[in-house]
Amino acid sequence: MGRRLAVAYVAGAALLAASPLVLDAYWLDVLNNVGLYVLLALSLNVILGDAGLFNMGQAAFYAVGAYTAAVLNTRLGVPILWALPVSGLVAALFAALVARPVVHLRGDYLLIVTIGVGEIVRIALVNDPLGLTGGANGIFGIARPSLLGLRIRRPEEFLYLIWGFVAVTVVLFHRLERSRFGRALAYLREDAVAAEGSGVNTARYRLLAFALGAGWAGMAGSLYAAKMTIISPESFSFWESVLVFLMVILGGSGSIPGVILGAALVVVLPEVFRGFASARMLVFGFLMMVMMVVRPQGILPLRAPRFRVPEAPEPGAAETPR
Amino acid sequence: MNRMLRTLAALALAAVGSAGAADTIKIGLMAPLTGSWASEGQEMKRNVELLAAEQNAKGGLLGKQVEVIVEDDGGDPRTASLAAQRLTTKGVVAVIGTYGSAVTEASQNIYDEAKVIQVANGSTAVRLTEKGLKYFFRTCPRDDEQGRVGAAVLEKSKARRIAILHDNSAYSKGLADEIVAILKAKKLDVVFFDALTPKEQDYSSILTKLKAVTPDVVFFTGYYPEAGLLLKQKRQMGWNVPFIGGDAINNPDLVKIAGKEAAEGFRFLSPPVPKDLDTPEAKAYVVAYQKRYAEAPSSIYGVLAGDGFRVVAKAIEGAKSTAADKVREYLTGGLKDFPGFTGRISFNGKGDRVGELYRVYQVDKAGGFVLQP
Amino acid sequence: MEQFLQQLTNGLAVGSIYALIALGYTMVYGVLRLINFAHGDLFTYGAYLGMTLLTSLALPDRLGLVAGLLVLAVMVMGLVAVIGAILERAAYRPLRDSPRLSAVVSALGASIFLQNALMLVYGARYQVYPDVLPQSALEVLGLRIPILRIAVLLVSLAMMAALYLFVQKTRVGTAIRAAAIDQDAARLMGIDVNRVVLLVFVIGPALGGAAGLLVGLYYGQISFTMGWVYGMKAFTAAILGGIGNIPGAMVGGLLLGVVEALGAAYLSHSWKDALAFAVLILVLIVRPSGLLGERVAEKV
Repeated sequence: MGRRLAVAYVAGAALLAASPLVLDAYWLDVLNNVGLYVLLALSLNVILGDAGLFNMGQAAFYAVGAYTAAVLNTRLGVPILWALPVSGLVAALFAALVARPVVHLRGDYLLIVTIGVGEIVRIALVNDPLGLTGGANGIFGIARPSLLGLRIRRPEEFLYLIWGFVAVTVVLFHRLERSRFGRALAYLREDAVAAEGSGVNTARYRLLAFALGAGWAGMAGSLYAAKMTIISPESFSFWESVLVFLMVILGGSGSIPGVILGAALVVVLPEVFRGFASARMLVFGFLMMVMMVVRPQGILPLRAPRFRVPEAPEPGAAETPR
Repeated sequence: MNRMLRTLAALALAAVGSAGAADTIKIGLMAPLTGSWASEGQEMKRNVELLAAEQNAKGGLLGKQVEVIVEDDGGDPRTASLAAQRLTTKGVVAVIGTYGSAVTEASQNIYDEAKVIQVANGSTAVRLTEKGLKYFFRTCPRDDEQGRVGAAVLEKSKARRIAILHDNSAYSKGLADEIVAILKAKKLDVVFFDALTPKEQDYSSILTKLKAVTPDVVFFTGYYPEAGLLLKQKRQMGWNVPFIGGDAINNPDLVKIAGKEAAEGFRFLSPPVPKDLDTPEAKAYVVAYQKRYAEAPSSIYGVLAGDGFRVVAKAIEGAKSTAADKVREYLTGGLKDFPGFTGRISFNGKGDRVGELYRVYQVDKAGGFVLQP
Repeated sequence: MEQFLQQLTNGLAVGSIYALIALGYTMVYGVLRLINFAHGDLFTYGAYLGMTLLTSLALPDRLGLVAGLLVLAVMVMGLVAVIGAILERAAYRPLRDSPRLSAVVSALGASIFLQNALMLVYGARYQVYPDVLPQSALEVLGLRIPILRIAVLLVSLAMMAALYLFVQKTRVGTAIRAAAIDQDAARLMGIDVNRVVLLVFVIGPALGGAAGLLVGLYYGQISFTMGWVYGMKAFTAAILGGIGNIPGAMVGGLLLGVVEALGAAYLSHSWKDALAFAVLILVLIVRPSGLLGERVAEKV
């Protein structure tokens, strides 16, 4: 990543680390919510931004992760931080299963299928199959996480946990962008036919993208479960999927800093405008329409990697290039 | 990046600024001002604000004026937890609210850890008071009480084939489960137990399914919009089996939706509606409410919020302090048979309201709700 | 047997409403390849405008029941058509050449905007239609079928038949079909594609608005979120029948209605919506072109 971006990240991290000194519990909790949404947005970015797959059902994977962690914790007594990787894995497997038959579908068809999957998951959660999900009541009594003996309970403690995880995610995903996997995703996003022709197994990479994005959303879900100690199907509605989708698109599809900014704005702005409760949704919808006309690439769009081109030697000068 | 810096600076200033407070006693109200229960939230706000104004006219509490701080919980758990955080940072000594059980639950721990008394007015899920939270109380009854009354009504009706219909929401299924458990213990026949999908329009398929099992009575534990449609459509089908409803049916719009002919004879359980509150103070209160807001209070849950405010005020006065432990002690010990608008109020050690609140109502020919003896 | 027949007629009536709404989706998708997320909200506007006009103008009282309702229907359809046209101009035309995703986001934004505008004007509570229609029922083969249910089915079928004839037999209808097959070729043939698009955004919403009015009259109760569920089901119906295919939308709608009703009756009611979505996903996996085959322009 560029020098400027690295400096911005470090500055942001420093501010966040210092925030418990100046902010009260309420605003710290807002930051925690931002953190969770940033994780979700980054996870969707892998699917939507990097691989170009239209996915408006991310909340389903979030839910699978959250409920897995909750069930493991409340029924089997697994400490929540141990459940974290398990919930990620379960969500990833679920996504791979679901995406397998549909990953070749055309853009908007895939969109509709993901919406359908999201709704089916939500309905399943409410109907409480096999008595696992607690139905509309959800699951309560989830234990707080404890790290090295310290029980994480207050907003400032969660701040460090959640944003610590965000930091790790950001570093990892930036490495991913420049890796072979990331390049393959970018290729198949830009031109799937050419990619397939160059020997990139598009179906496999798409599935992997889905699995990775879903797995990360699942882990975010277990953090959510730990923070709220109760989870219920209302938190995983279609609207949540739409919100995360918007964070990615409006922030800058494919661009990690863009997506982080998008998540922050989408969460913080409604809090700042709490007074205008109903009108704010109206403005939101209107903004969406305007953004697509005025700046469809998002606020901080993805920039193609730049390479330095050596200067051409002047005619008549020495043959050896500098 | 600059943007983030500026926002954080503004937040820091705001945080510091909100710390200083005038000399008032702050009581919070967490209510669903927006979202699917906005009408209940608005009623809650009106009731509490009226009562606070009346208290201040009488000199306030412990010599200080009462300030009501209202936060919207949006009817959903996540907004509620943020609202709760916000209220605790504003220095409230007690919070009234809220309506939905899952919403209240999301806020319980926050208030408990901040040592803020919480009095819920509409959250009837049994488990809320089974967690050992010291500072949680509720002026509304519990689902198990409604379950008992419901089962009793069914038993009295001498029905032999009973159908139970719910809508899969936490409240509705919970109540349905309570009733079924009691019926099974009494060895009564439950021939149907299923859910409809709320917010749909067409219930003819589930009504047809119900009709096919020939029940003697159908108990619906869901909300009034669906109940209205059920009554209307069952009449269209020409099916005359009596329906009974739970307390979420209690809303004047029920008759509007179902039509007077379809709604006639329908019975439901409910805490008494505001117009049936029979003590002189309650009647005077309804008049005062009418004067200030140009209409009578329509929701009993709003009045229960009002009662919540009044018991908190009484406890603060009685304990001569706003400290949570002292207020709690008074509420569980010193407050006996407090004359609430909704009836006599006392709390047990768990924070539950003692006494039977549920009554049976029947809809008459004119669409009015008549209290049954 | 009785249950089966009752559920069948239920399903047909509900299905015919899905079909009316599905027509709007399918026409827009056929010409623009755009999922108009805001279409369900246009349906809701039809219901609300119908209610306002009904209560304020009291047309059935003034003109008699049938004439009054006809005039009301024309007014509602006209108003919703205007809103549809404005929607096209404001949210979709500027994005005609942009990538598909932009139009999807814009459609979502339009949907949110429309829904909340409605909520701000009418409030969040349920609204009730005044009781103007007869509630009686017909005795057929020992079944009691509400007259209204039959009326809804007949009215919807009539409208669908009218649309089908329009698209098949008139010049304008042919222009629409041509634009749906290949926009550029149609342009070369002298067809004003912009006009065709506008027409599609007038007819589709008008039908959706009519469906809203029917739902309001039939069930009596409306809410500002009703467009979401109906919209999704209608879209499922359009895909089921073959997107872009007008008779497909009709068949898809009726079929979905019946499958839903029977599924709810014989399996569990709580899973009804999940069933509809599962059908959608299954169709997309197994036969994405739908039952009657899709008619969409191929983008190379």
